[in-house]
Amino acid sequence: MRTVRLTGTDVLIKTGSPHLEVPLNHRRSTVIAISALLAATFAPVVTSTSAFAAPLPAFAAAEPNQVTDLTVTQADGFATVAWTPVPGVTDYQIERTAVDASNAPTGTPTVVGVWRPNRQVNNEEPTFADAGFNPGSRFQWRVRARIGTAEQPYSSPVFDTTKAPWGDPAVAGQNLRTQWETTQAAQYTSDVNEYAYTAEVDRLSERVRVVEIGRTVQNRPINMFVIGYPTPPATPAAVAATSPLAVNCNVHGNEPGDREACLIMARQLAFSNDARTLGLLKNTTVLIVPTINGDGRAANTRGNVTGQDLNRDYSLIRQPETAAYVRMLRDYRPVAGYDGHEYGNSQAGDLPMLPPRHQNVAQQIFDESLDMIENHMYVEGAKDGWWACPYGCANGSGVGLSEETILRNTLGLKNTVNSLLELRSSGGATRPDEGNTANNRRRKTFSALWTFNQFMDYHHNQLSDIKTARGEAIEFQAGNNGRIVFRGSRIVPLHPAPHPGEAGPREDLPTPDMILDNAPCAYKLTEAQYNGARTDGPNDVGATVAERIAAHGWKVVKVADGYVVPLAQPERGLIPLLLDEQGEEEWVSGERVYPTLTGRHNGPLTISGFACLSGATVNGPVNLRPGATLVATNTTISGPVNAANAAGVFFGDSVVRGPLQVANTNGPVTVIGTNVSGPVNLVNNTNGAAPYFAGNSVSGPLNCAGNSTAPTNLEVRNVVNGPRAGQCATL
Amino acid sequence: MRTRLLAVVVVAALALAGCTSDSSTTTAVSGPLCDELPKGDEPGNPTALASEPVDQALQWITVLTTFEGALRASELVPELEGKKAITVLAPSDDAFMAKFSQDNLDELMIKDKDTLRTLLRAHIVDRSLSLADLRDADSVTTLDGTTVKVGEADKMARIGDEATTVCADYRIANGRVHVINHVLGNLPTTAGQGDSGH
Ligand SMILES: [Zn+2]
Repeated sequence: MRTVRLTGTDVLIKTGSPHLEVPLNHRRSTVIAISALLAATFAPVVTSTSAFAAPLPAFAAAEPNQVTDLTVTQADGFATVAWTPVPGVTDYQIERTAVDASNAPTGTPTVVGVWRPNRQVNNEEPTFADAGFNPGSRFQWRVRARIGTAEQPYSSPVFDTTKAPWGDPAVAGQNLRTQWETTQAAQYTSDVNEYAYTAEVDRLSERVRVVEIGRTVQNRPINMFVIGYPTPPATPAAVAATSPLAVNCNVHGNEPGDREACLIMARQLAFSNDARTLGLLKNTTVLIVPTINGDGRAANTRGNVTGQDLNRDYSLIRQPETAAYVRMLRDYRPVAGYDGHEYGNSQAGDLPMLPPRHQNVAQQIFDESLDMIENHMYVEGAKDGWWACPYGCANGSGVGLSEETILRNTLGLKNTVNSLLELRSSGGATRPDEGNTANNRRRKTFSALWTFNQFMDYHHNQLSDIKTARGEAIEFQAGNNGRIVFRGSRIVPLHPAPHPGEAGPREDLPTPDMILDNAPCAYKLTEAQYNGARTDGPNDVGATVAERIAAHGWKVVKVADGYVVPLAQPERGLIPLLLDEQGEEEWVSGERVYPTLTGRHNGPLTISGFACLSGATVNGPVNLRPGATLVATNTTISGPVNAANAAGVFFGDSVVRGPLQVANTNGPVTVIGTNVSGPVNLVNNTNGAAPYFAGNSVSGPLNCAGNSTAPTNLEVRNVVNGPRAGQCATL
Repeated sequence: MRTRLLAVVVVAALALAGCTSDSSTTTAVSGPLCDELPKGDEPGNPTALASEPVDQALQWITVLTTFEGALRASELVPELEGKKAITVLAPSDDAFMAKFSQDNLDELMIKDKDTLRTLLRAHIVDRSLSLADLRDADSVTTLDGTTVKVGEADKMARIGDEATTVCADYRIANGRVHVINHVLGNLPTTAGQGDSGH
């Protein structure tokens, strides 16, 4: 009588409990307190269908301060325990007891959880995600309140069987299991087992393509699951067009909990046929990199095999692992990301999270990332019983800062909405039964699985907002001529009590020496700086700056005496951190190139060599001589712009009152956030990399033809008041 | 590019050495930490490890991930497996966390393997000693040449000045493994220094 089985899906029964919300996300079974069941059994049944719907007399009156309305809802690897709050109590203890099929105890009753008010944003509906048990086991749960340390009566018990590991053992693909699963978490999945499992998921699912994005120092493959429905798009650019999301699962080799969740999630995405999964995969592509640090994982070290902490290398990309990830970002352009870790602070929440805080990250990206954490993860965590909190929320003032070398910040500087995810390493005071290693490992992994699933839901539900934030950020960066901050964070405001209830992460504002108010327009590198041999990689060999710039995907103009990297491009926040001598961890001290025109110019303007117009006004036509470079930000040109055989053309947040003609450029072309009154022609540009044409407004036709690579809009639509033709037909 | 595998292994063929348990003889381990480790019929239970070589056995003792990784990194395994009998006094992950900073551990495991080898030799004895043997003895000499005082500590064995066994009497193919709660040897404590977070 507990559940009714229909078409293989558990159907909830109504109990009248205010906590029995029908979950939108996961298939679950729900059970109700035994007292209610007994009451239902003994209640006078009028008709067979109304037995559960009618208000029922309590089987036994609740004792004072006794917890009532206990419900337990099963999900993958955890059970959400919920109850009606008792007024005036200090906290609650959640007790779990192993039972057999007839509900006779087979183990010792154990307090497995302590609920405290700072767990969740709403205290009116307390929930606790109980986890750590071996999935598929059967238990009894009870909850009691405490006033101070005085224990109040336990609730009536609830009995239920937890969900077995995901996947029907009789269905190919679904029946795959990782080493971590088959050993009941006694062993983490080895490298060899991961490759075999990955290959089987790839082989058995049309939805999955496994791509090797690079190799570690020790030549281990770095694989990425590319998952879409019915099949993933065929090329990185086609994937990018679906605004994918990316999960990076294991950068610190001795923090393996998230990686196990990623491997299970890949199987679910590959073989689950529920409506939610198919709905997610029809609309986007999921990118999962289970093991970016394969050498460190195999050796159980934090760093890679050279001892480098890879999460201090995502901007610098001295190591092949980080370089592979950054090239992947360039080619697949995920709009949102999560980066998985474990955290040794035993007082923190279950799931510390943090947005990209570096002050050069566009406000829109910071805001949207914080929205994901506070308005989605905190809210959903309160429903399902997981305690998300800001990283650094409990005695963690030294962590969560502004290093752009950390993926969280690197991604933000690449205009990707994202968050750090930490799994609290130890059970701590709120999960007292985690001395048992397997319990501890399972809680961490299944909390990561919950988070990554919630991340996919957020992406699915908020994609429009994410894309808007990203588009505005790209336009902001390409047109920005404001100050540069080398190190320093935005403040993460303290969330109202009760949650998180403790201090947030430290302010970490920039010091004066980390600010450059008079920002240059570009950096110029010498031949030696750009192509010179480097010694900062493994075995004292590093990729050249030219190769690293290419990995990040920045546009560079070759000039007579060097290489110019204009800031009028989407990663304007990141470029100076690596090319300016004031940077905390720069590659080289590039020469700051300042604007050549910031005021008004009346009459025609002919450009030879390098011109940078910043906040300028030109009343007349602009002509580029062959070999010339124009960088224009926040500039208005009243007249046509004609560039033929130029070395480079950059427009950001500008206005062109007249036609814009860019032809035969032997270098980069990027036009972003710019308003053109007249036709736009981009033809026969032969730099190799795709011209950017993104977030512009064109009053007139847009024509692109003969460019060696078709222009891209970086998934930021242009408004074109006229026909779009040729290579720009879909921009 | 399609995935290219370093090694092709069928998932189903995954060796589960720790799962095979011989019901005719069971290995009894003892100590307060044993309850936190695989037991009964669980993969990695003590009986299942009794005929495993040291490197394989350590992979199943779930509180020894640091020690296990360090032993592999030290490249001492062939030497240990070649010995007729050994006793491994293996500090738990908590013990390592209380002793070394993350950076220090990476330094030892990646760059300073000579020091790592000396550290690990300070945890291994050249003959097989049960918990009872350790309780009865006055001292043992570890492979680094150090003489370490041992003796009784409640129902456990004291090892040196600080350590006691916390789950003792794992049998392995050529000896015993005892989980202990402090790192031995004479390296300085660096825990808590330079933890830079994520
Ligand atoms: Zn980490």
